[in-house]
Amino acid sequence: MSYLYYPGCSLESSAKSYDVSTRWVFQSLGKELVELEDWNCCGATMYMSTKETISLVFSARNLALAERMGGDVVAPCSSCYTILNKTNKILKENFILKAKVNQSLKREGLSYHLKVKARHPLDVLVNDVGIDAIASRATHSLEGLNIAPYYGCQIVRPEGVFDDPENPTAMDKLFEALGGNNVYFPVKVRCCGGMLMTTFPEVALKLNKEILECAVENSADCIVTTCPLCQINLDAYQKKISKKFKIKVHIPILFFTQLLALSMGSTPKEAGLGQNLVPAGEKILGGRL
Amino acid sequence: MAVDVLKEPGILDKKESELRAAFLYQVSNIPGGEKIKKCIQCGTCTGSCPVSYTMDIMPREIIALFRAGAMESVLNSRTIWICASCYACTVRCPVGIKVTDILYALKRMAMEKELFPKRFPIFVLSKSFVFLINRYGRSYEAGLLLLYYLRTNPLKLFSLLPLAYRLFRKGRIAPFPARIKKRKELSAILTEAEVMEMIVPEGTYPVVPKRAVAPGMIKAS
Amino acid sequence: MSRDKNVKVGVYICHCGFNIAQTVDVYEVTGFASRLDCVAVAREYKFMCSDPGQELIIKDIKEMGLDRVVVASCSPLMHEKTFRKACETAKLNRFLFQMSNIREQCSWVHQKKEEATEKAKALVKAAVMRVVRQAPLDPVVVKVNPATLIVGGGIAGIQAALEIADSGNKVYLVERDSTIGGKMAKFDKTFPTLDCAACILTPKMVSVAQHEDIELLSLSEIEDVQGFIGDFTVKVKKKARYVSEKCTACGECVKACPILVPNSFEENQVARSAIYRTFPQAVPNTYLIDKEERPPCRETCPIGQEAAGYIALVAKGRFAEAARLIRRDNPLPFVCGRVCYHPCESECSRRFADEPLAIKNIKRFVMDWELKNKALVEVPKAEKKKKEKIAIIGSGPSGLACGHELALRGYSPVIFEKHEVAGGMLILGIPEYRLPREILNMEIDFIKRMGVTIKTNMALGKDFVIDDLFSQGFKAIYIATGAHKSLKMAIPGENLEGVLHGVDFLRDINLGRPQPVGKRVAVVGGGNTAVDAARTALRCGAREVTVLYRRTRKEMPAEEAEILAAEEEGVAIQYLVAPVEVLGKEGKICGVRCIRMELGEPDSSGRRRPVPVEGSQHDLAFDTLLIAVSQEPVVDFLTGKFPLNVTKWSTLEVNPETLETNIRGVFAGGDVVLGPATVIAAMSDGKRAAEAIDKYLNNEPLADFTTPRAKKLAKRDESFRPHRYAPAFKETPRVPRTKMSEISLEKRLKTFEEVELGLTEEEAMKEAERCLNCGICVECQECVRVCEPKAIDHRMKDEIKEIKVGQILLATGYATLNSKALSLYGYGQFDNVYTSLEFERIVSSTGSTQGRIVLKNGQEPRAIGIIHCVGSRDEKYHPYCSRVCCMYALKFAHLIKDRTDAEVYEFYIDMRAFGKGYEEFYSRILEEGVNVIRGKVAEVVQSGWSKKEEGTLLIRCEDTLIKKYREIPVDMVVLCNAIEPQPDAGDIQRLFSISRSPDGFFLEKHPKLDPTATATDGIYIAGCCQGPKDIPDSVAQASSAAARILAYISKGEIEIEPIQAYIDPELCSGCRLCNDLCPYTAIKFSEDEGISKVNEALCKGCGTCVAACPAAASQQNHFRDEQIFAEIEGLLGG
Repeated sequence: MSYLYYPGCSLESSAKSYDVSTRWVFQSLGKELVELEDWNCCGATMYMSTKETISLVFSARNLALAERMGGDVVAPCSSCYTILNKTNKILKENFILKAKVNQSLKREGLSYHLKVKARHPLDVLVNDVGIDAIASRATHSLEGLNIAPYYGCQIVRPEGVFDDPENPTAMDKLFEALGGNNVYFPVKVRCCGGMLMTTFPEVALKLNKEILECAVENSADCIVTTCPLCQINLDAYQKKISKKFKIKVHIPILFFTQLLALSMGSTPKEAGLGQNLVPAGEKILGGRL
Repeated sequence: MAVDVLKEPGILDKKESELRAAFLYQVSNIPGGEKIKKCIQCGTCTGSCPVSYTMDIMPREIIALFRAGAMESVLNSRTIWICASCYACTVRCPVGIKVTDILYALKRMAMEKELFPKRFPIFVLSKSFVFLINRYGRSYEAGLLLLYYLRTNPLKLFSLLPLAYRLFRKGRIAPFPARIKKRKELSAILTEAEVMEMIVPEGTYPVVPKRAVAPGMIKAS
Repeated sequence: MSRDKNVKVGVYICHCGFNIAQTVDVYEVTGFASRLDCVAVAREYKFMCSDPGQELIIKDIKEMGLDRVVVASCSPLMHEKTFRKACETAKLNRFLFQMSNIREQCSWVHQKKEEATEKAKALVKAAVMRVVRQAPLDPVVVKVNPATLIVGGGIAGIQAALEIADSGNKVYLVERDSTIGGKMAKFDKTFPTLDCAACILTPKMVSVAQHEDIELLSLSEIEDVQGFIGDFTVKVKKKARYVSEKCTACGECVKACPILVPNSFEENQVARSAIYRTFPQAVPNTYLIDKEERPPCRETCPIGQEAAGYIALVAKGRFAEAARLIRRDNPLPFVCGRVCYHPCESECSRRFADEPLAIKNIKRFVMDWELKNKALVEVPKAEKKKKEKIAIIGSGPSGLACGHELALRGYSPVIFEKHEVAGGMLILGIPEYRLPREILNMEIDFIKRMGVTIKTNMALGKDFVIDDLFSQGFKAIYIATGAHKSLKMAIPGENLEGVLHGVDFLRDINLGRPQPVGKRVAVVGGGNTAVDAARTALRCGAREVTVLYRRTRKEMPAEEAEILAAEEEGVAIQYLVAPVEVLGKEGKICGVRCIRMELGEPDSSGRRRPVPVEGSQHDLAFDTLLIAVSQEPVVDFLTGKFPLNVTKWSTLEVNPETLETNIRGVFAGGDVVLGPATVIAAMSDGKRAAEAIDKYLNNEPLADFTTPRAKKLAKRDESFRPHRYAPAFKETPRVPRTKMSEISLEKRLKTFEEVELGLTEEEAMKEAERCLNCGICVECQECVRVCEPKAIDHRMKDEIKEIKVGQILLATGYATLNSKALSLYGYGQFDNVYTSLEFERIVSSTGSTQGRIVLKNGQEPRAIGIIHCVGSRDEKYHPYCSRVCCMYALKFAHLIKDRTDAEVYEFYIDMRAFGKGYEEFYSRILEEGVNVIRGKVAEVVQSGWSKKEEGTLLIRCEDTLIKKYREIPVDMVVLCNAIEPQPDAGDIQRLFSISRSPDGFFLEKHPKLDPTATATDGIYIAGCCQGPKDIPDSVAQASSAAARILAYISKGEIEIEPIQAYIDPELCSGCRLCNDLCPYTAIKFSEDEGISKVNEALCKGCGTCVAACPAAASQQNHFRDEQIFAEIEGLLGG
């Protein structure tokens, strides 16, 4: 069984490692990822907030392309994932907007009939492939590794399609099955501030500090995330935060697919570890340098 | 912030009522948008919001002010721009109001009606973003930030250089924007969409359903 | 429609003020109506229900001679009665009137006037077309049974019961719980007056108990309800209490009970024993025992040993009691503690969590303890001695058990033993290192002291025959001679020197006749005998011992522990190999030719049959071969003139229930019947035989035996729960099985000393604590022992009671939302987050903390947050307001202020203080300095990120009145979780055929004007089962319900609609289909006329027969087919 792969813009640049590791994991689990042909930007939250029809058209184009190729779309970027889902919901419940959108898509000979499901890789891995199946492929146990599973906002909210929006557990279960130890992490769905890091940095820095601090407090060896934006916010500003709030944080921030790949026996390169600003330490690599 | 009060009994001033109509239209497009009428002003949204502490108007007040006929003060608020769209409020609202989406609606209006401080960060960011994706079909992070800071606060660029350099060395900054193949078709779609955006089909303005009163039984006199 | 032409219909359209007129064009409808067939007059009027309106009708009937009337107005529920009365004043039969509802589902729901008007026209036409086909009917009058059933013994039920009973009428009060009092009994104080709940409730409870007109059925549930208003028949299931009214509530039993389970009355914050009384003022004030199905260990035991019972006692260190309990069912406790194959352990529920309990070892410990502490109970004496002589042949476990049981029953049986020592296989088969002789002899000695004679060296068939016994005056005989004959393998060389049989070998050793064993010994077989033989051979000096078994370890019948011990001692086991020939040199064995096996299809025993592998023959060198493949009974003693029937396995043929042989007075059991079986199975037979013989000698029928037999248990899996309080198995903490210490290996190889040393007290108690107390009460019988008035009876059964009542009141109360559902508020995650009911028990003087408001760690809280609307006014849970939370939350605030120095924060959305004195209470709380914050709490989190540091709690919310986001630190949180319908409200709804509103509460007949009645006549509702309510409202509603009920009782009779079915004799084909279908058995077939007839007195007009009748002979008054079809036709504008 194969899935349509929608990497989204960040996975082409700032979150390449997410792209690399996701592809590696799916391939070694024998699940084919077929990249969506000529996909475009999903529109992202900010764009949602300028012009409605246009923003819908943007994400709808991807869905239309997917519908033409047939199959579910797998979107690793939380933002893309939510946008695609939301577009589906809006077009489903508002026939006028649907008409408008299809009218516009005509210009490229496209049309969309709500046949495509947008899925997050975590959803696919846990619910389609199955935790046991994954665990059985694992070659390197995560034994003794303290993990802070960080879900962020947009893969569970607003709809909570495949997990509980208040207390998601998919990742926890996954890493527990791989031998890892999930630390007490009450901020697992607390917001990282997203684009506020650019627009209202002082606010975003505080939010990131809370998350990092919580992980450190509970002696986590790494924070594992599902979202490019969360990853870069948490990864890139640790120095700044340490300085600003006079605390000491230095903790690797991994995409969940990176840690998954490692436990399934990938090389650090295959897991795209080269891109993390805070390098994954010995504890994570388990002598694979 | 001052709240415009009703000038004549039952009559809002023109601008206010325009804003209100536009808002209600936007809201009517949100799935479940009508729920906004059921707000009980409990403040769960504010309490759940990770950034409410820096807002000038609490999320709950947005609805209160709308009811009070003070849309303009809402649109001028910093609140709608500070929302990081984490949807915590939406998930917890006891009457199912889509708070985040309503804030989106307000942002759209604010930009349409140009009701916000000039060079206001998010607006600029959005515009730059729009510019880029309209052009390439893909977002281009580096370009985006460059544009953004040039338009807002060019000096800040220098302070960012070290981080930029680190990211670049890690191969996390693409030197050139990625672009889609069918750029021509895309812009065609978008122009069409622009037109569509203008069309406001009759009857999509939320109509208040006529509710017949069901009084108690009339006793035989 | 010719027939209709001569009827005159009057049609009256009501405006109902604006209610109808606003959306329905009444004038148009009136005009339309007047043009309809048979309509003599059509009028509209502002309020038809008003007197002038009714006058209009009466006048027309009188003057125009109308013989049919239609009123189109509101719902018949409102005014059908009104207009029927009007017709009757004008001498028009009420059933010639038809009401058409053009309001609720017409004018109120339509938005466009045209549509509403069209609908109204159709409805009116339908009514007209129906009414012309209606016929005059006379109402049926039924007697009202003055007895009343009240379901639910909460404050509402109690109130109503007392009010009805005080008027001298019978009340049955059915309560599901063990006591009445309901939720109110849990409260400390009541708002707003703050009087103590108990002080005002308990007097009422007591007067319920004392009232001669109230029959209280506690611990009871409604099974079935039949009938209708005035005459209901109700089946009530009275659950067994296991304690009779003789109970004096002295509480001794509680001290004796070893079991602890969560106390649901205390909201599971503390534990209670399995025998308990809900609270001191409980009514009825009788204790009860909390039981579920019996523990598997006991059910699966062939002698029904009360395993769970003595385990529970051991866990509490009460070893003497444990020993007493073991001895009660077990004639050979020491033996079983050592050599029983413990089927109980393989059924033990604990195996789902980790490993089964070491039940055998615990038993051994208890008996050893008894021996060590000289606590040996005196030999039980039977009350009356019986003189009949009974012979038992064979002194093995079966014979001894039989003797023991007979002695208990007052006989003095004689056991005849072939060998020079008593004990049978126990002594001849089982090696000493497993069962020391002094232990065995002590057991036998004990049985002798009970009055059993044992004659050794008396072999049946050699020294005497069965006939002799009868002639010596023995009245009954029990044959338990066992299975001692070893089976041959039927292979060449079996008779060579050095080839021995396992049983013979063991017997000789055990009888102290040393056997020559070579250096390299082979043992063939996989049973306990084989393993025993192997281990014994080692102890006799064999250098290497090899067991040859033809199947694999999995199929090996020997006990796992024994196999392991053997391997420890160096016994080699070769699997999947079988000897085909014994190789010899000058008459002596020099080796064994073996062939490899592989497993094929399962055989009769369910084990996979081994099949030889071609050409896999190979020779192994041995100088001794012990054959231990299987045994069979020796039946050569069956001489004399009493030929006993023998099966083809040369076992004795008996009736498995009664153990009778084909000869009167001769019984048989144990291995001689079962073939080589187990000690415990043999003992079970012995006990059963004793009972059979006892019955036989008293000429009782050999039936309803009380001696237990092994039960086959239903398959259980992880989903199965030991009992309803037990946690899921995966949540049960893992505790490994305690191992017994053993003597050193070299000692083991040299001597026959007992290998296992038994458990220490600590070990035994630790092991016993692993028991999950399946079925809660483990029937250890300690309560029975200590109960002075002998009120306890563990054999009590549930009973079904049938009662007849005229009316029914449901006051089944409410449940509260499970706060775990709201993960945001941290209930179940953080200490010191409580539900309202838990907090009620905390502040209650009789509660878990005797009313001290303290944190889990015993300290006094510095600040407490009380959160309103938890799951109320929230679409994700319950959209409605739970109505009482605001007030009890304020009550809590007051109590906290009263008893602690803690800051109190009330988080509310809207403060609802609507009742009398409530607002005043609110302001009083404000004066007391409680912080009230207007804002729904978003979440409760732990301050300080890590769970390690016991941080206080943070309440996050918006203080909406100051427009600020706030984080308020508190030590304790109380959740006012929503009131919701009882989980089984749906079942009750179906049982009493009433309705529920969307929120799940029972639906009243009219929200304003009839809040206590339901749509089903004769069934009323009161209290929180109708909707959230406080105590005053519940009581008020209960009283009003009581008044409603009393009204009918005093009236004595009641008119019901004459809508019975009747069967047209012309059309009835006599197929009798309807006879069985009728739920009220109102239809009987009259043989002489050959048709079915309806008994109008019994018919309830349910219409089942009408629908079923193939000949349309069955019709229902006022709902005849033509009437209904006409109505439909009218609706469809026909």
